[in-house]
Amino acid sequence: MTISELLSQYGDKYVEALLTTWQLTFISFAGAMIIGIIITVMRVCPVKPLRISGDIYVQIFRNIPGASLLIFLVYALPNLQVILSYYQCVLIATVLIPAAFASEYLMSGINAIGIGQIEAARSLGMDFGIMMRKVVIPQAVRFSILPMTNLLIATMLTTSLASQVPLNPKDLTGLVSYINTRDTGGVTSFLISAVMYCGTAVIIGQIGSYIDRKVRIVR
Amino acid sequence: MRELTVRDMLYETPGKETRKKTAVATVVSLLVIMVFLCYIVKLFSESGQLDSRYWFFFTKLTTWKFLFEGILGTLEASLLAGTSALAIGFVFMCMRICVYKPLNYIGIALVEFTRGVPTLLFIYFFFLDVPKMGINLPTVWRISLPVAISASGMVSEVLRSGVNAVPKGQREAALSIGMREINVFLKIIFPQAVRYIIPALVSDLVIVVKDTTFSYILSFPDLMQNAKVLISNYDALLSVYLVAGVIYILINYFLNRISVSLAKRSGMTPVVGR
Repeated sequence: MTISELLSQYGDKYVEALLTTWQLTFISFAGAMIIGIIITVMRVCPVKPLRISGDIYVQIFRNIPGASLLIFLVYALPNLQVILSYYQCVLIATVLIPAAFASEYLMSGINAIGIGQIEAARSLGMDFGIMMRKVVIPQAVRFSILPMTNLLIATMLTTSLASQVPLNPKDLTGLVSYINTRDTGGVTSFLISAVMYCGTAVIIGQIGSYIDRKVRIVR
Repeated sequence: MRELTVRDMLYETPGKETRKKTAVATVVSLLVIMVFLCYIVKLFSESGQLDSRYWFFFTKLTTWKFLFEGILGTLEASLLAGTSALAIGFVFMCMRICVYKPLNYIGIALVEFTRGVPTLLFIYFFFLDVPKMGINLPTVWRISLPVAISASGMVSEVLRSGVNAVPKGQREAALSIGMREINVFLKIIFPQAVRYIIPALVSDLVIVVKDTTFSYILSFPDLMQNAKVLISNYDALLSVYLVAGVIYILINYFLNRISVSLAKRSGMTPVVGR
């Protein structure tokens, strides 16, 4: 199919699919940040069992393939009498996995601060709360801007998992596989989706590195 | 002794009061975790998933042999994809660092394209569209090639960071003893660059392993596909998917561990990956 045929027949579907992908991406990323922060707090708190379960969470979800998790949620959970809609399954998968990475990035942000600064803060007489607010968190957040930008892009790529379940409206990958199983969409049909994904990634990347340039700590 | 990280240093040595509070919090959190685990076990038992008919076949050798064949399939596809990604990534990297400007821009565009497009889209392209063009690839390449293409941009950036990490003096010294630019790159810069980036490459392999999970779309016999066959043989869905998931987690966990220990040995900060 030529590009004009594709656009006249499926044009509005592509727009719809792009919006679906954006929606999934931003909801997942917000959820992943919230869970990632909670997990990180668990991992740095002095209570051993919480630390260990935080570490286990991260190891499980940074290592499990998205497809494997999604298939488990969709097909295996009903056997446990837990019935979720397809949309919920996709969202859970695309929140839990990036959350593990968010926590890893925050942890490496914290670790990048260096023990010397913590010791210096303490010898100045700061208590834990002040030290966190004035020394640890501001630096950890700055260190994490670029990784978090990449995570947002990775989250967008992960939402292509949505194509593995019947969703309405479809996401960008789902739409292309739908077009190509009914029709001969050809390379162009893939390219339209690819350009939409890629364009989003480039915009996110640009904004991320702009923010990073503004707040980076130059050593 | 385990080395101290920032997270161990965030608190002062606790006094009597704090120790008491921490102890209470430990007990409470243990209880919460226990309740959570009990709830999961209860879910399993109430829906009859702990029934032996869902688990007995894991005592058979044939089951494990079959799963092992799946793991081999996963590894075959992953290694093939990994090496191809390395080759494609190397080409992209050469385009990005070469002196000829237009090639630079093509390189940047290719890297951004492969990094910004999900693997699944490449897989569907090779699955749905390439056969229609009359190109028939062997099954393993139908999964390995899209996975490789999708990883190549990332690999190219890793390679480039390695090349940039080689001190400038190395190149100048090599040029001043009369080596040609191409020889400088191949014999001096690149061998050193590779040593810097091996940990990052190993951790990229994790992404490749994860991406090959989509093999079930084209029925390539990897771990996921063999798990599906087991499921239809024994009519046991949950247990098989659970075991397959754990195997994947273990494979990737060990790859990550290898990456971290390689990084430590060469005195670098470990990479987190994606």
